[in-house]
Parts: sequence; C-alpha cells; structure tokens
Amino acid sequence: MSFYETLYIVDPNLENKVLEKTIDEIGKELEKTKAKIINHRLWGKKKLAYQIDRQKYGSYIIIQFEGGDQGKMYDYDTWMRLNNTVLRHMTVLLDEKPEVYVEEKEPQKNETSTDTNRDNEKISKQGSESSDKNGSSNSENKEEKSGSDLKESSKEVKD
Amino acid sequence: MTFQNRNKFCYFKENGITIIDYKDIKLLRRFVNDQGKIMPRRVTGTSAKMHRKLVRAIKRARSIALMPYIERGNE
Repeated sequence: MSFYETLYIVDPNLENKVLEKTIDEIGKELEKTKAKIINHRLWGKKKLAYQIDRQKYGSYIIIQFEGGDQGKMYDYDTWMRLNNTVLRHMTVLLDEKPEVYVEEKEPQKNETSTDTNRDNEKISKQGSESSDKNGSSNSENKEEKSGSDLKESSKEVKD
Repeated sequence: MTFQNRNKFCYFKENGITIIDYKDIKLLRRFVNDQGKIMPRRVTGTSAKMHRKLVRAIKRARSIALMPYIERGNE
C-alpha cells in the first residue's frame, strides 16, 4: 500500500475545543476509506502566503496515512472540499513510509545547547513569545521541538 | 580581461538530498527570486532530475499557501 499525506488549513480563530472536534471529525471521515492513520497532528499557526477567504493566518494540520479505497478516497476529497471549516486541503503521495511523530521534551534541548545555536534559540523564543499573544502556544512549542529546519521555515513564513 | 569561472553545482547532490519536501519552505526559498518566480536551472545549477522535483515541491507549496504565487514589493 502507498502512503499519503493530507495537509489542510483551518480557521486559526477556532477555539481549542472546536478545533479538536473538527480534527476528530476529519479523522473519522478518513477512516471511512479504510485508511490507516499514522500521524494526525497540528503543525502550527502560520501566516498564509496569500489570503484565503479573507484570512491572513491559518492553522496547518497534517495527516499521514496508509492506503484507503480509491473510490472512497474520492468521496473523502469531495467531503473535505465541501467542509466549510477547511480553508484548503491537499493530498500528496509520499515517497517513503512516514515516521511516527513523537514530541520531544524541552529540557533536553536546553542541556545540549552550545554557543553556536544559542542565538538561534533566542530568536525562536522571541518568535514563540510573539505568537503566544496570538493564542497558539501549543503549536509553537511543537514546532520549536521538531528540528531546526521546521523552525526556520515557520519563521520565514511569519516574516 | 579574463572571465572568472564560478563553479556551479547542484545544491541537492552536494548535500545528498534525494527527496524534496514541499513543507520545507526555507529550502525552497533559495530557488525562487524576490518576485517568487522559480529560478532557471542555468542560474541555480541544479541537476535536471532534482530541478523537476524542486519545481513540483514549489508548486505544491504555492497551492497550499506556504509560498506566494507572486510576491509584491510593499503590501
């Protein structure tokens, strides 16, 4: 079976409970296609490169899954398109099996920090502080932990 | 007057990258100009194989609003 990934954007102003509910809903809809969900996580709130439905920001959510019935996948795609909370979505074929996403713990990172990446850390902390005001502290923390590449990229998107 | 020969090299081959992720905006940003246009292979020196993958990644990133289709100077 092939592995796929769906990235979708939802309204960033949703409350946490509503957001969780929609994530659950979408997960259930995907499971109807007999797909095995590997990861389903919030990637974070990001600035959109262009406005979608007059929104300047969006919460990005990633689902990585295996297989699914071809015919039903089409239904899933249509359902996603008709879903009003989803601003935009895209399903792509993955080249290799995705790894199960595990959140790394923060204290380890502080211990291992060297002089060279201290500056980077400062910047990322500033970034997370500013986004805390926007009310997405959880997602930002995740990003901070998940490798420097993601961190850097998200920063640029914000800029 | 002599021409200085700047050696062009494929960024991906040099760094051993075989898969380009469309979510890695920091990487993709290197290969577009300030207008957001994809830079030609003759400028970046990317190998043909990786350029094809790169173009696909950039277009995917655009369609999901991670990268702009066009970037204007001042908004």
